[in-house]
Amino acid sequence: MKLSSFLKEKTVYLTFQLAIILFLAIILGSLKISMSAIILICFSTFLLAVISLSYEYIKKARFYKRVLKTLDELEKKHFIGALMETPDFEEGYILFDILQAATKSMNDEIADYRHLNEEYRDYIETWIHEIKLPISTIDLMCENHKNEVTDSIRSELSRIESFVEQALYYAKSSTVEKDYSVHSVNLDTLVKTAIKKHSKQLIGAKTKLIFKNLDKTVYCDEKWLIFILGQILSNSIKYQKENLNLAFRVTESKESIVLSVSDNGIGIPEKDISRVFEKGFTGQNGRCFAKSTGIGLYLCKRLCDKMYLGFDIQSTVGSGTTLMITFPKDSRILLET
Amino acid sequence: MKIYIIEDDVALRTELVKFIEAYGYECSFDDDYENIMNLALNAAADLILLDINLPIFDGYHICREIRKKSSVPIIVVTSRSTDMDELMSLNLGADDFITKPFNTQILLAHISAILKRSESGTDRKEYKGIRFCAEKSILSYEDKEIELTKNESKIASVLLKNVGKIVSREELMNELWQSDEFVDDNTLTVNVNRLRKKLEEIGIINFISTKRGQGYLI
Repeated sequence: MKLSSFLKEKTVYLTFQLAIILFLAIILGSLKISMSAIILICFSTFLLAVISLSYEYIKKARFYKRVLKTLDELEKKHFIGALMETPDFEEGYILFDILQAATKSMNDEIADYRHLNEEYRDYIETWIHEIKLPISTIDLMCENHKNEVTDSIRSELSRIESFVEQALYYAKSSTVEKDYSVHSVNLDTLVKTAIKKHSKQLIGAKTKLIFKNLDKTVYCDEKWLIFILGQILSNSIKYQKENLNLAFRVTESKESIVLSVSDNGIGIPEKDISRVFEKGFTGQNGRCFAKSTGIGLYLCKRLCDKMYLGFDIQSTVGSGTTLMITFPKDSRILLET
Repeated sequence: MKIYIIEDDVALRTELVKFIEAYGYECSFDDDYENIMNLALNAAADLILLDINLPIFDGYHICREIRKKSSVPIIVVTSRSTDMDELMSLNLGADDFITKPFNTQILLAHISAILKRSESGTDRKEYKGIRFCAEKSILSYEDKEIELTKNESKIASVLLKNVGKIVSREELMNELWQSDEFVDDNTLTVNVNRLRKKLEEIGIINFISTKRGQGYLI
């Protein structure tokens, strides 16, 4: 609250006050009262007005300054209603009440949406569990009647399965609640489980695997990380150039353990690389080589963010792509869970 | 070996029975979910495959009830895959937990691993006078014996399981990968050739034939 704008608002009051003082001076003058007495009376009247105005200004200015500071410090501005102190003047009360009412109504609205969101998510999860049943049945039917046709049905089925899984993790990634549990996990076991899960596609891509220094323990949610690795593997397969070479390496530093997955695929153009974690971004490769949904890497990044893991990408066109997952050694992650 | 299946989805169960029977196990099941616990126990199976979402009683209850009376191995097969489900199942006495949709080979591997554990039987195969003991990785013919490496033993075991059927290179690699041997195409060729050489050393000639572009055949 600026002094000038405060005074501007008080123009009427100030004018009247001046008029009264002037009027008083004229009346007192006509009553033949001595000049010094007139000045004293006028001055004290003026002083009283100034004191009462400055008192009001200081009170209001202090209150609004505090409110604005709190608002500035708040990351989520809509909590201002809850953090505002009760003012001790009428206008402040009105503002306070309005804010309280607005906050409450908005909280109710948010609660409604959260509830709707939860319901939708529950439905998606149930749906995903339901759809898994016919998928298993079809898969078994194909296994029991092995021939060329069922083999191709099976490979299409595994695509359906991976889309379904992606949907499940998408639902998980977009909820407010934490939906994972952090345990100590051996990277060697984890990487190999993910590979076995995608063994058929990897064998089909004539993959050569290299493991280096994987025997390290990290803290994360095993299922989520296997899913993330699965997305990385399927990208490597999708964008392979010749026979796929996949290298899994672990490097350890003072603060973190980094798992990197490198392939010898087509690589990502420099102009696209900064945007590959964006939702729906497909880039040149997505358009030219394989059908891309722009969801995979976005989802990986989000899931890593949720688990406080780093997720980075490096790539050179024509020689391959490396994805790095960074596990911080900071044990505070464990305290969070 | 007898496997009892508790699964209410008829289509899935039918295929599951077909699949498991194709691998030499005997299967039985019932549809009376009111008495499913007793029926399962009376079936005197060597292993029970148990679904969780069932009519009347859920799988957890059935698992606990069976455990009260019998120590028959139970594998929980379910489409719910949260940690909580896994923990519940294992705490209630299930021996293993597989999520749908399962990889059929993994299901088989789990079944045979559990049965081996509870029966401690040996995985021994015989064909045309060739005896193969998977546990010791020893192949014998007439009075000669030869020791196989892990990979060779796995290849021999898969081929002997599929006598008269062509086993594709992909299938062989998949089997090897499932036991943490991530071989590539060239390594597989080398391994198969070594196995052939070893077989020749003990007098078995032209045992494994190559079907061009398709795979191997015994």
